[in-house]
Amino acid sequence: MRRRNIALASAALLGIATLTSATNAIASSPNPTRIISLSPSATEILFGIGAGPQVIAVDDNSDYPSNAPFSKLSSFTPNVEAIAAYHPDLVVLQSSATNAVTVESDLQKLKINVFLEVTPSNISDAYAEFLALGKVTGHPSRAKALVTTMKSQIAEIIAKAKKKSPISFFHELDNTLYSADSSTFIGQIYSDFNLANIADAANAGGYPQLSNEAIIKANPKLIFLDDAPYGESASTVASRPGWSAISAVKSKHVLVLPLDIPDRWGPRIVDFYRFIAAAIAKVN
Amino acid sequence: MMSTEHGAISRIWNWRITAFCALILLAVAIMAVSFGPISINFFKVFKTLFDLPGGSTGQDRTVILELRLPRVILGALVGAALATSGAVYQTVFHNPLADPYLLGAASGAGLGATIALTSTHHDLHAALPIFAFAGGVLAVFTSFVISGKFFADPNSLLLSGIAVGSFATAIQTYLQQQHSAALRPVYSWILGDLTSATWSVVAWSSIYIAIALVILFTVAKQLDGLMLSDEEAYSLGITPKRLRIIAVAAATLATATAVSASGLIGFVGIVVPHLVRGLTHRVTNRSLISIAMAGAAFLVLADLGARTLLSPAELPIGVITAFVGAPFFLVVLRNRRKVMQ
Amino acid sequence: MTISVTDLTVRYGEKVVLDDISLDIVHGKWTCLVGPNGAGKTTFLRALLGMAPYSGSIKDRGHEVFKNHKRNVAFVPQSPQIPQGMTVAEYVMLGRSKRDGWGNDSLLSREYVHKVLTQTHLFGMQTNLVSQLSGGEMQRALIARALAQEPELILLDEPTSALDLHHQISVLNNIELLKENGVTIISTMHDLTLAAMFAEEIVVIKNGRILLSGESNFVIHSSELRKAYDDRIDVYTLESGRPVVVAKKKGLI
Repeated sequence: MRRRNIALASAALLGIATLTSATNAIASSPNPTRIISLSPSATEILFGIGAGPQVIAVDDNSDYPSNAPFSKLSSFTPNVEAIAAYHPDLVVLQSSATNAVTVESDLQKLKINVFLEVTPSNISDAYAEFLALGKVTGHPSRAKALVTTMKSQIAEIIAKAKKKSPISFFHELDNTLYSADSSTFIGQIYSDFNLANIADAANAGGYPQLSNEAIIKANPKLIFLDDAPYGESASTVASRPGWSAISAVKSKHVLVLPLDIPDRWGPRIVDFYRFIAAAIAKVN
Repeated sequence: MMSTEHGAISRIWNWRITAFCALILLAVAIMAVSFGPISINFFKVFKTLFDLPGGSTGQDRTVILELRLPRVILGALVGAALATSGAVYQTVFHNPLADPYLLGAASGAGLGATIALTSTHHDLHAALPIFAFAGGVLAVFTSFVISGKFFADPNSLLLSGIAVGSFATAIQTYLQQQHSAALRPVYSWILGDLTSATWSVVAWSSIYIAIALVILFTVAKQLDGLMLSDEEAYSLGITPKRLRIIAVAAATLATATAVSASGLIGFVGIVVPHLVRGLTHRVTNRSLISIAMAGAAFLVLADLGARTLLSPAELPIGVITAFVGAPFFLVVLRNRRKVMQ
Repeated sequence: MTISVTDLTVRYGEKVVLDDISLDIVHGKWTCLVGPNGAGKTTFLRALLGMAPYSGSIKDRGHEVFKNHKRNVAFVPQSPQIPQGMTVAEYVMLGRSKRDGWGNDSLLSREYVHKVLTQTHLFGMQTNLVSQLSGGEMQRALIARALAQEPELILLDEPTSALDLHHQISVLNNIELLKENGVTIISTMHDLTLAAMFAEEIVVIKNGRILLSGESNFVIHSSELRKAYDDRIDVYTLESGRPVVVAKKKGLI
């Protein structure tokens, strides 16, 4: 459930996306030296572009890199006073946090700069965030370099792995069969590999809940499990009634996704591309 | 209650109780402004509040005046609104378990909020209170219309409120399923929170809540007549139907405003009236002012807990009011059983 | 001085509950309305209270009674709405709202309630909850509240039903106390013997119409009374001259 919530919270809030692109005005002068990150993805990005030494605290959901200054600050329900107690000069805040708009304006009242992070809807948006964070923390060139490297690595991975004809797959968010279709961030990554997402048929524009029958009928060749922390695995999936007939189950192509990688859009997203490439390679 | 030497029964309501509640509210409010993740010396807080020399400056001052103070005031307003509405509903519907969300107000407001959060239009945050308010008021109005005869019978109004509420909840659930990205914002709104308190929110909500409360305080004494049957009330000089409409309308205004400012905070509307009535052993509606102030103090205290218990995370305030409310109900139930025997 | 009822008709939807009633009720006397169930007695009381819309006229001291709040009328219902959690003293105090305004704790009112509680033998129970009173005690509380109101007219709907004999008599005696203050008493009653015992005037109503009205002894012995109850009653007179009305024992119908 929590994983799904994290996934859902990572979805683009369409309205705020447009609204907040205008609110990223940051005071430009000296680079911030007391940065607080309230976003696990932003934490990874900050450390990836060399801003790590400027970070004084990260939220309770951040867990990478291991030398990040972890704190009890909440990314979902930020407490303005608790944040202010650290005397930061820049706070990276997710726009999907509870009352993000009020939190942002309260922090600004306290003369604290806020970088409002909008959940990217595709990899280009993610790159844009890398560059924006690079600019705001004083590492524009390192950010640019990181993006260039990632782009070329990903392009190479896709080129090698992509098959000519689309391979059908099912991305499972939880055992009530919620999935993510191609309009989501993660869905776009799958699309890059010319994979066919069976959740697209639901026409839900986000995270539809599929039925056992629909999945069995669609007969995907690959199944990606995002709910391993909740006890799901290849064997539990295979034991579901009717599922043993599914191609992915028969050929043992039910794969458990690595923790956190698909939910975040930091530098480690390249690992996710590699994972998918490896999965495709196994399918004939 | 023993009689005095003059051969008279003792007073039904003592205004010292009201004064006492006012004192408690003041103390709680000052305490709430003084505590938070950033520790500020209590005397500095006091001096800052009353603009005396030696108060805090800079960030501390902003924290006190721009963050904590509006939040405490909003908490007091919402607590007063919900407690008073609950007390009025309990009287009007002859039901000690009535709460301000009866008549579908909660479901209607929730539906309004969900529509705001799942619509594809921009500027959700500004519009949400309006949608919630409209939803709550419309739901109650629909309950009136469906029950027919415009309030001839409190029970039929209750039933239509249940029907309207269920319908609104069903639509809300459907919308949420269609737009699962909005699930978390809707859920946290339903739990209620005062974190959106800014001076502008305090401004508009205080106007509506003040209007509603003034109306209710004015008719408070007459509301006692509604505890009797219509004929009895009528004989004592009340127009029961008209009074019920005024009371319910004002209570709904207060509730809808509270909900649109802070989401659905539960238990305040049921618990606080019982608390005051139980402690004073009086059910007269002259207690309404005291109930309002007790509700204000209750919610401000609960919000203080929400901000500090799990600091730096924020507990949803609905969790705290439920934590207090649930055992409270057990106590009330036990007392009722004792009284029955 | 009377309450003049002229051509009074009360309808609930299509149904005519009171049909063209004309009657003069004498102030300061006890008038009892009798008749079988559904005759319209309670509706008549509500009309006299001023709550029921009617066609025709009911004039009390020259003014129409409909929605006329200037009168001080006490209403004692058959089944009152019993407030939860309210003490007897608070309940009786509600009656003072007419004379003293709502929610006033004036010394005068508190003394008056003290007196009334003593009169109705409720003084020792003043802190008891109204919801815990027995049937008889509840009736006494209702009378006490009516007494506290110091009304000019009191309307009682079946004041003695569901009471045992001892309480019936004591409640009716309490009501009689009101007559000392010149209060007009109008009650409905099932028990014709008690009606004859206490009321000075009796009005026989059946199917929304008045069959007979007049001095109680006269009406009790009349044939119209027997007709109203489908000849199923017998009227006997005791040695003391008091009439006793008894239901006839008939075979299975």
